[in-house]
Amino acid sequence: MKTLWSKTYHWINERVELDGLVEFMGKKYVPVNSHSIWYYFGGVSLFLFIIQVVTGILLLLYYKGGEALAFESIQFIMSKVQFGWLIRSIHSWTANLFILTALIHMFSVYFGKAYRKPREITWVTGMLMFFLAMGFGFSGYLLPWNELAFFATKVGTDIAGAVPVVGKPMMVFLRGGEEVTGATLSRFFGFHVAVLPGLFTVLLGIHLLLVQRQGMSEPLSYEEESPKERKTMPFFPNFLLRDMLLWLIVLNLLAILAVFFPWELGKKADLFASAPAGIKPEWYFLFMFQTLKYIPGKVFVFDGEVLGIMTFGLGGLLWLLVPFWDRKSSRGERNRFINYIGLFIVLYIIILTIVGWIL
Amino acid sequence: MNRITRMMMGIALLVCVSANALRAQDKCLSCHEATVGGQPVEMFKHDIHHAKGISCAGCHGGDSKTEEMDQAMNAKAGYIGVPKGDEISKACANCHANAAKMKSFGSNLPTNQFQNLQESVHGKLATNGKERIVQCTTCHNAHGIVAVRNASSPVFPLNIVKTCTKCHADAAFMRMYNPSLPVDQLDKYRTSVHGIRNAKGDAKVAQCASCHGSHDIRNAKDTKSKVYATNVPSTCAHCHSNAEYMKEYKIPTDQFDKFSKSVHGVALLTKHDLGAPACNSCHGNHAATPPGISSVSKVCGTCHALNADLFSASPHKKAFDDRKLPECETCHSNHEIIVATNKLLGVTSEAVCSRCHSEAQNAKGYAAAKAMRSLIDSLENNEKKASELVNEAEQKGMEISEAKYKLRDAHQARLESRTMVHAFNEGRFREVASKGLVVSATVSAEATDALDEYVFRRIGLGLATLAITILAISLYVYIRRIERRQAKGVQ
Repeated sequence: MKTLWSKTYHWINERVELDGLVEFMGKKYVPVNSHSIWYYFGGVSLFLFIIQVVTGILLLLYYKGGEALAFESIQFIMSKVQFGWLIRSIHSWTANLFILTALIHMFSVYFGKAYRKPREITWVTGMLMFFLAMGFGFSGYLLPWNELAFFATKVGTDIAGAVPVVGKPMMVFLRGGEEVTGATLSRFFGFHVAVLPGLFTVLLGIHLLLVQRQGMSEPLSYEEESPKERKTMPFFPNFLLRDMLLWLIVLNLLAILAVFFPWELGKKADLFASAPAGIKPEWYFLFMFQTLKYIPGKVFVFDGEVLGIMTFGLGGLLWLLVPFWDRKSSRGERNRFINYIGLFIVLYIIILTIVGWIL
Repeated sequence: MNRITRMMMGIALLVCVSANALRAQDKCLSCHEATVGGQPVEMFKHDIHHAKGISCAGCHGGDSKTEEMDQAMNAKAGYIGVPKGDEISKACANCHANAAKMKSFGSNLPTNQFQNLQESVHGKLATNGKERIVQCTTCHNAHGIVAVRNASSPVFPLNIVKTCTKCHADAAFMRMYNPSLPVDQLDKYRTSVHGIRNAKGDAKVAQCASCHGSHDIRNAKDTKSKVYATNVPSTCAHCHSNAEYMKEYKIPTDQFDKFSKSVHGVALLTKHDLGAPACNSCHGNHAATPPGISSVSKVCGTCHALNADLFSASPHKKAFDDRKLPECETCHSNHEIIVATNKLLGVTSEAVCSRCHSEAQNAKGYAAAKAMRSLIDSLENNEKKASELVNEAEQKGMEISEAKYKLRDAHQARLESRTMVHAFNEGRFREVASKGLVVSATVSAEATDALDEYVFRRIGLGLATLAITILAISLYVYIRRIERRQAKGVQ
């Protein structure tokens, strides 16, 4: 067995020089400190993304886009296809866990100031991937063509349509017309399985390349310690094996969720039916949705909804560009202001999400 | 003679004396009689208002006590001439809407007629846009008004039909207000039991006002109308449930009670299902007559068309005709039609089939009834079982919508088989019932599969968790071993 493995390795090594890569990975060390736990969330997010790709491809074997067939094809997957229920439920649960772990990963990077020089591009690509992940969630939510998805998309695209100047054309582009129809479903399907994965893969490639090239960021406190006091662990095999251990636990968690809480399909969307009570977006949009509900119709001379959307847009932009305006952290100085902002945002998101969920 | 009677007689005497005194002072009538004469004057002499001492000035205004025409018919004295349009009803309402005034004339008439009339369908604006369609005088006449109980009154029960049809049988007139309203009500009425008796002089039977009201007539589609679908039974019951009133007609007075408990009554009166039949749906409205033995199935068949057709082609048709049995009513009763359950079918003591079919006398029919009951019971039980399995699978989170959808077919087959009972043909019944039994069996099998799958998933999860746990522990042990080796290497 060992001989076969050695022969195979040798055969590949002769052609692509694997030795260099193994040597590089062997020399790569991960800092060990009290914040090390947060390093794993990037890997877990990657693992969940891989699951999404695999289960997504499997779903594609049976899913049929289009107003007349989408709901029925999911119904078929859930009831007739061998393990179809498992694949679909895991895909749906993973989508949510992926957003959650990516969110935790993002905040851990933010609070650890890991975005500071020279990792600005890693942060920006990560943030762009997070926005794309939300796009994945929004577009994928409509694909079963059920009642909740239909009205949530209607509300969501309505909000997009309220953006000044570009809002209306953007809404028409997203919907494929003035209203949410079968044309919207076709578009969202296209975004979900072609456009977004393409963009995401490019960004993920850059992100991972940079992580490998630049290594794990070390917290400012860690840098203050003397090189002798700094603990590390080899990326290969130690960190990678620990990563895999966590992946196994996550995989088991997904299986438990899929079996005990299979993702519901609901009722087929009816374009002429009135919206059911309590329509809510996915939980990761809830804090924004709830905020928009609290903003008065008019704030001074501005339209309340437009003002809210613009505030979130501006906030998102500032968040994306944090490595470029937080110069203190880049100089290696402590910046408590950044922590306060982050803390406020975390609390705001948690509270508004809970309020939105309950009300 | 007690105190109250003495007091009443005293009031009557007082009203009489004062009426005579007032009549003597009415210079309008004496003058007009002497100078103009004519129909109004003659008619007014017989008018109830004249009898009560009300002068012409009561409606026309002016001063009835002076013989001077300039003074008597002076606008300053309130003279209005001949009232036109809505002024007519207003002139009547001056007294008839005033309880104190009406009491002073010894009248106990209600004082809300004017208000009721205004709110009624007749109180709407006429086509000229200036007045309401109907004024008091339209039905009661202007001069010569007599009490309703007076046989010469146009609104006396025997005359009212003619009074209403002055307009309601006039197609050209009715077209202006309600072109879709038939104008043949009188013709139909005359064919009804009510109409025939009315024509013979029976003032107790229903006429237009009995069902539609008098001053408060509303459109039949108005929920407040006495003939609105849900109000029809109580309108009819007003007379038909009054045992004392109906005594001389020698017909039962429990129809309303029975109807209220029936499947039709519950649907109409409790569930407010306007599609459910009221009295007039079976008996007719203007031509109201109980359906005869020969026509019962036709009447029921207006709604239950398929059942009626199947029955007409069944062997029971001839058997019922020969025995002069009313078709639907024999098994289902008439006013007290209860929800038809499986119990009606078969050979048990509750089953209607057993009233005629016994094992000894009619073995073939007995066997068929028994077999059909057995089939329909199986159909119901199997559908119930399938439904329970589907619900259980659904509650356990299984995707079972297809089976749930098929369950409708099983339900439909059961409904069809219940209809097919009316063909009284075991072969045809079995054909329909079998369809339902097959569907129920398929649904049960699918639901059972889903429940098995539910168990399989949990077992699968258990095994997967076990495998993952072993793998995770192995991996953890392996990591520890590597790290121990690395630590030793460093040392």
